[in-house]
Amino acid sequence: MTTLVQDALPGENKGAGYKKLKKTVRAFGIDLFIWSYMILASWKIIYEKIFIGDRYATFTWNQPLIALGLGALVTLVLFFTRVSIGKAVSGLYESRPERTVLSEPYTILGYVLLIVTFVSGIFISQVSITEFLSASGLHGARRIFTALFNPNFAIIEQALFAAIETIYMAFIATMLALPMAFVIAFFAARNLMNGSKLTMAIYSIVRFFLNVSRSIEPLVWAIIFSVWVGIGPFAGMLALWLHSVSSLSKLYSEQIENISNGPIEAMTATGAHPIQVIWFGVVPQIVLPYLSFTIYRWDINVRMATVIGLVGGGGIGTMLMQYQGLAKWNEVGLLVIIIAAIVWIMDYLSSKIREAIK
Amino acid sequence: MLNVKDLHKKYPNGTHALKGVSFDVTPGEFLVVIGLSGSGKSTLLRCINRLHEPSHGSISFEGNDVTHISGQPLRTLRSNVGMIFQHFNLIPRKTVMTNVLSGSLSRTGILKSIFGLFTEEDKEKAKRFIKIVGLEGKENQRADNLSGGQQQRVAIARALMQNPKVLLADEPVASLDPATSHSVMQYLKKVNEELGVTVICNLHFLSLVRQYASRVIALKGGKLIYEGQPLEIDENWFKTIYGEEAVEVTID
Repeated sequence: MTTLVQDALPGENKGAGYKKLKKTVRAFGIDLFIWSYMILASWKIIYEKIFIGDRYATFTWNQPLIALGLGALVTLVLFFTRVSIGKAVSGLYESRPERTVLSEPYTILGYVLLIVTFVSGIFISQVSITEFLSASGLHGARRIFTALFNPNFAIIEQALFAAIETIYMAFIATMLALPMAFVIAFFAARNLMNGSKLTMAIYSIVRFFLNVSRSIEPLVWAIIFSVWVGIGPFAGMLALWLHSVSSLSKLYSEQIENISNGPIEAMTATGAHPIQVIWFGVVPQIVLPYLSFTIYRWDINVRMATVIGLVGGGGIGTMLMQYQGLAKWNEVGLLVIIIAAIVWIMDYLSSKIREAIK
Repeated sequence: MLNVKDLHKKYPNGTHALKGVSFDVTPGEFLVVIGLSGSGKSTLLRCINRLHEPSHGSISFEGNDVTHISGQPLRTLRSNVGMIFQHFNLIPRKTVMTNVLSGSLSRTGILKSIFGLFTEEDKEKAKRFIKIVGLEGKENQRADNLSGGQQQRVAIARALMQNPKVLLADEPVASLDPATSHSVMQYLKKVNEELGVTVICNLHFLSLVRQYASRVIALKGGKLIYEGQPLEIDENWFKTIYGEEAVEVTID
């Protein structure tokens, strides 16, 4: 029976062989990477730290190459046993009924990989209990905490104005982002754009730019804009605005992709004009999620505005940076309390509002 | 009043859903279309009000060829042909009243409809139809909070708002339980008999067909294979329409 099928479908059989080859190559690549990484980490980070005592691991470019060579050797030897993680991930192993997955050799190699990474991480992060508990360190910490818990209320007026600046800055960034995101979202919604090759091309370009601008942190944008328009709330607002446009566009377009076709079909069937179809069939499905996303975005923007202030984006963050630079910890203490209060209130309000409009 | 001639529908993905279907609909009848899932029933209804474009053949409505009209004439055709759906397709988050009023969109100006300015006459009418489908007092409830049967009745009231000459019903009771199914079918029957609206209805259950239809057509693989009275469907016809292994399931 099987041979019959194979005779009848030679093309399919060839495809299966090709697929298996592809999987094997991928599995080999994964193994090569894992072994080279383990060799490099155990040698350059763990071994040298413990036996040579280097505080900072120093690398030269030939060391990774040596690790790669050794890794290739190990992979070649072990690829045909059951300790290949690559083969396990690619599904090239037959499962053995007498063993559970957790006791398979490749799983045990996985544990080793995790331990090597964990130990390397401890060394690289320079984790040190002695420094955490050193007498002088604890003394400094006590000094700062004492100051922080004795906030200086003399600057509360300035601090509140700076806080208001932060909230308004975040609000304007959200408001200016809304109409742009509203329009862009339609071009970034797959279900509206899959009609022709041209619209799909527009969709891909729009999505690409959204992803790029979203993957650049607002902090970086704030630095760019503070050079462009000068340090202050305007720079911070622009940074938040740009990031909000791309985030909201993505959220909005996903909402458009999720709407059900039923109401649109029903409105079309009543003989309504296309604009009426959108108003009665599409808008009721997106308006509340949009509102909810936008309020949430404002909430996020207020938090981000504080951080952005640290690099010159204005508002309470900039003020915090100035007092921290002067080591005026009592003033910093007050600012920290105000920031915490704003974040808490915004979080509470936005979740209440979003709940109410669901 | 409705003549369908040699209708073909081929979807872009290659599915040939209708392969030359022809039939006539006479005013005032309750025509039921039966057939297996995928036999082309839904496609047929959606070709009549042109939610789907026919690939070949012709459809004429009250003597006018409507196979390829577009724009305002197409919207006029659709306003004369009401439709109700398996999943009700009501506007979410809106009240029963708004949902029913949306049936009058085709005769309301775009701006007026956007601001919700429907005429007093239409509002009165909406109330009357809500009463006819037995939902009096629920005008201001959110339609998506109602039960399935009630939602389908809102959909019937919405379709009636169009003053339709024909009502298309695509599996109107397929997502409802047996008792509710009968209630919805009875409302459709009432619309057909008391308001004189011609009904074309897709159904699954033969027991419902025998009870409500005045005439039946059956589709199989996109072709019309049976046309006649509901009581004439015997064991042999049943097996021809639904396949040799099919066993009739009743709903009561």
